[in-house]
Amino acid sequence: MKYESMLLSIVFVPLAGAFVLPFAGFISSRFRNFLALALVSASFIFSLKLLPQVITGQPVIVSHNFLLGFNSAFYADSFALFMAMASSFISAIIILYSFGYINHYKNQNEYYLMVVLFLGAMMGIVFSGNLIFLYIFWEITAITSWRLIGFFREREHLLKADKAFLVTVFGALVMLLGFICIYQQTGTFDLKANLISNIAVALVLVGIFSKSATLPFHTWLPDAGVAPSPVTALLHAAILVKIGLYVFARLFIAVYSISPVWHTVVPVIAALSSLVCAGAALIETDLKRIIAYSTVSQIGFIFFGLAIGNEVGIIGGLLYILMHGLAKAGLFLCAGIVEQNTKVRDITKLGGLIKAMPVTAISFLLCAFSVMGIPPFGGFFSKYLVFSGAVESGQLAIAFVFLAGAFLTIAYLLRVFNLVFLGQEKSPSQKEGDRLMVFSVATLAVLSLAGGIFISYLYNFAAISTTQMLAMAK
Amino acid sequence: MMDKILFLPILMPLVLAAAIFVIPEKLRRAKEAMAVFAALMNLAVAIVLFKGNIILSLPWLGKGLEFSLRLYNFSSFIIAATAGFGFLITLYSIMFMRGKEYARQFYAYLLISISLVNGAVLADNLLAMLFFWEGLLLTVFAMIAIGGQFAFKAATKALIIVGITDLCMMAGIALTGHLAHTLTISKISLPLDALGSVAFVLLIIGAISKAGSMPFHSWIPDASTEAPLPFMAFLPAALEKLLGIYLLARICLDMFKLAPDSGMSIMLMVIGVVTILLAVMMALIQKDYKRLLSYHAISQVGYMILGIGTAVPAGIAGGLFHMINHAIYKSGLFLTAGAVEKQAGSTDLNKLGGLGRKMPVTFICFIICAASISGVPPFNGFFSKELVYDGALERGNLFYILAVLGSFFTAASFLKLGHAAFLGKSSRENEKVKEAPLPMLLPMVVIASVCILFGVYNALPLNGLIQPIIGTIRLNGHNFAGFPPNTMLVIITLVVLAAALLNHLFGAKAGGSGIKAADHIYHAPVLSTIYEKAEKRIFDPYNIGLKVVGIFSKIAWRLDRGVDWLYDTAAPKLAGISSRAILKLHSGSYSKYLVWSLLGMLIVIIFLTHSV
Repeated sequence: MKYESMLLSIVFVPLAGAFVLPFAGFISSRFRNFLALALVSASFIFSLKLLPQVITGQPVIVSHNFLLGFNSAFYADSFALFMAMASSFISAIIILYSFGYINHYKNQNEYYLMVVLFLGAMMGIVFSGNLIFLYIFWEITAITSWRLIGFFREREHLLKADKAFLVTVFGALVMLLGFICIYQQTGTFDLKANLISNIAVALVLVGIFSKSATLPFHTWLPDAGVAPSPVTALLHAAILVKIGLYVFARLFIAVYSISPVWHTVVPVIAALSSLVCAGAALIETDLKRIIAYSTVSQIGFIFFGLAIGNEVGIIGGLLYILMHGLAKAGLFLCAGIVEQNTKVRDITKLGGLIKAMPVTAISFLLCAFSVMGIPPFGGFFSKYLVFSGAVESGQLAIAFVFLAGAFLTIAYLLRVFNLVFLGQEKSPSQKEGDRLMVFSVATLAVLSLAGGIFISYLYNFAAISTTQMLAMAK
Repeated sequence: MMDKILFLPILMPLVLAAAIFVIPEKLRRAKEAMAVFAALMNLAVAIVLFKGNIILSLPWLGKGLEFSLRLYNFSSFIIAATAGFGFLITLYSIMFMRGKEYARQFYAYLLISISLVNGAVLADNLLAMLFFWEGLLLTVFAMIAIGGQFAFKAATKALIIVGITDLCMMAGIALTGHLAHTLTISKISLPLDALGSVAFVLLIIGAISKAGSMPFHSWIPDASTEAPLPFMAFLPAALEKLLGIYLLARICLDMFKLAPDSGMSIMLMVIGVVTILLAVMMALIQKDYKRLLSYHAISQVGYMILGIGTAVPAGIAGGLFHMINHAIYKSGLFLTAGAVEKQAGSTDLNKLGGLGRKMPVTFICFIICAASISGVPPFNGFFSKELVYDGALERGNLFYILAVLGSFFTAASFLKLGHAAFLGKSSRENEKVKEAPLPMLLPMVVIASVCILFGVYNALPLNGLIQPIIGTIRLNGHNFAGFPPNTMLVIITLVVLAAALLNHLFGAKAGGSGIKAADHIYHAPVLSTIYEKAEKRIFDPYNIGLKVVGIFSKIAWRLDRGVDWLYDTAAPKLAGISSRAILKLHSGSYSKYLVWSLLGMLIVIIFLTHSV
């Protein structure tokens, strides 16, 4: 019973606590901020406490008899915990950064409400034991991200928020049709191993791709860069786009068996998405949009790792989710510091910032190295494992396309770094960011490094998750 | 517990590098002392480990993937060499870097590089090797970038070129691991079949790009003028030649069975010869001391690749011997360039001249190292080149002739360099130039004497280092120490060197000064147009690559905008048109609505009755 209540706390503490935040804000903004941090940290701590139980291969299940024939409410295995810990941890750092970033703006109560609610919904998706819960939490994240993208309330921002909302909700509705197909085939909304038809897979994939911003449903993500920086970091890097990846792995690796043709179709789509957006990142001049394109491109790598259908690739994909989350959050938060201090986002109008903001610049560079996949950073191992998995399944041709994508990654990230931080100083006002903000980005950079040096622990965790997942499907 | 000592050469420099970062900026002397101490400690460790035989294996990533380090003659030798150069160059940098803005960072990066090199050569697991190997990319980037305000452009170029080739190597390692079912280097033994060749080529790309071979060479000349000079002197000793060629040798000798009659062997020899010739032709026309040297760094690597690519014992021994010799004389040459830069304030050959009398020790060191690189007996470069020639001749006359032609131009360009910098008239600004200070002279003298030692007494490196690496089976009873047995080849070499001298005298007389000694080649018909284009960097593979990437990105950008158009323009328009169409149907007439409803009900009834 103890573990079950812990599992429920992971989801409902932030989900319910979020609604307390606006009231806390009326008392004191400091109190509200720390409460928000506490709520998110609670998810992380509870996940950590659940870990020793789950890692032994004993999933924690909360079941309840609902109508419509589904029983399992929440379900926690190593994979879910891996995801939950990665996202709640990154969220905690992002909230810490928000303390410095968001206090310049209005509507802070709304901001903290939405961010914490978002995380709660994310936890709900991660631990959902049935498709209906999955869908409900999925839509909650869509609503909160719609509010967050339009946070500054300018007309153009609102339009872009609408675009993100419409695209992801359209995808979600298609996915719902897919869920209904699955129900017809299996007779239950519970996540139970079964073979499902290609139509259902295709419908669900539309939802996943639209949430995870994969070609051709990706353009809302660069547009969403108008959001406040912590939000873009939260949305793009750590959590939102990873939801699709998580659900992909949860449904199509851990639970349902799908036709082997998808082991080729999904990598091909991912490869195209990865390559096109890497190219676009080289042309784009808006700092945040470049990083967003880079996210789309990297998501392709993760799909590739997860979809090729062997153990090494999946382990690589899981580690990639974590490493990319850390490094990309770092990049976005660095971009936020640059944007807030210089009021410029066009990289051709920036330059020489390394003198004024050395810590930000170095953190940016370290995170960029991790995304490029250069050791000793964590990104190196995840990239290697994905390639290794691809080679093992004989997907050499697609692997080479991704290799080209990796080349472009080096090129566009260095282009950004050179233009923004090196060379001639161009923008007028220059100073290092707020102490908490700089601390957050430096933490993310150091963690990217530590993730590479202490890779064996993370690897073992990912390997155990993968083994459990594959055992479940059998 | 004894095996844990293998962590020492990796961790110790790293810890000391961190210490250098921590020592406050004001204690400059303490920093310098720390740097020298660290380099000395590393040397001590390298000497203790020298010729040791230790294997360390720790569980790393799950099943079968272990973090294994292996100390044996080859790796212990590279570690010792790197440590030696590291120490000399640190000593040299104390004077050279004094007063430079980023001196502290330089020492730290140097130590981190040494640590990574030690890790890369010790690693007996391909993934661990790649971990250290690619990590070097970062220190290379950092060390070039601290050269000056715009050095980052050269650093970026280096990072992009080497980073891309490292990714190729990563794919190659994944493929090798898949084919061999292990990543432990000493257990891999693969045939060069279809997939094996792909893996081989991918790995080779990584190895030769670090070595600075064509077509991955173009970052080196740029770095040579931008990066702090001690870095350029350290480059061949650390990652460029020692490490790149070390890996090439491991790939060709241990991991894959490169046979003399295979296509891969011919590919390597072609790369070698092309690199020798094209780079030396570019070196010939350079007018900057450091840039000229950097093209030679590229050209000489061609001899090593050619030697190893021949896959015959003489060639391999020559290639490896040349690798050591090159590290020695090229470090020496760059150190003389640094002495000139520090004392005369420039490395532009137009501004130099007559330095020989003012800097006699530097000049003598230059002569020795230049004679070595040109293959003049009895210096070390002569013996290794003769072995490479021997191997090349065994594989075909053409390779031999082209390699010897490379020697001709090498000698010619060093005659030009020496003449322009150290002889001739000194310009007015150089009137008061003095000899370099002792900490800078000492490393040069040590290096120059090793050039002589390894030449005159070549049995020491060959019997002691090179031949054990190749192994008795592959050597097949050969012993390459001593004077080359093939007198005919020696005579040809001497004739070629004499021809280079005559060519220089002719050119210098025609041009009127040392720096113009190669002008008659530069202005030769056909060559002059090619040179002109090469100087505009039209042939730079990096620039060509950037152009291709630019075109691709534009296409990708269009595609992306096209998709976005669907959402931003097409979808709202479609929604507008359809809603206007539907709006028209809502005319307010009850009779029409009734008809719609009845029709709808009819469809529902038909559907229900048919589906049951």
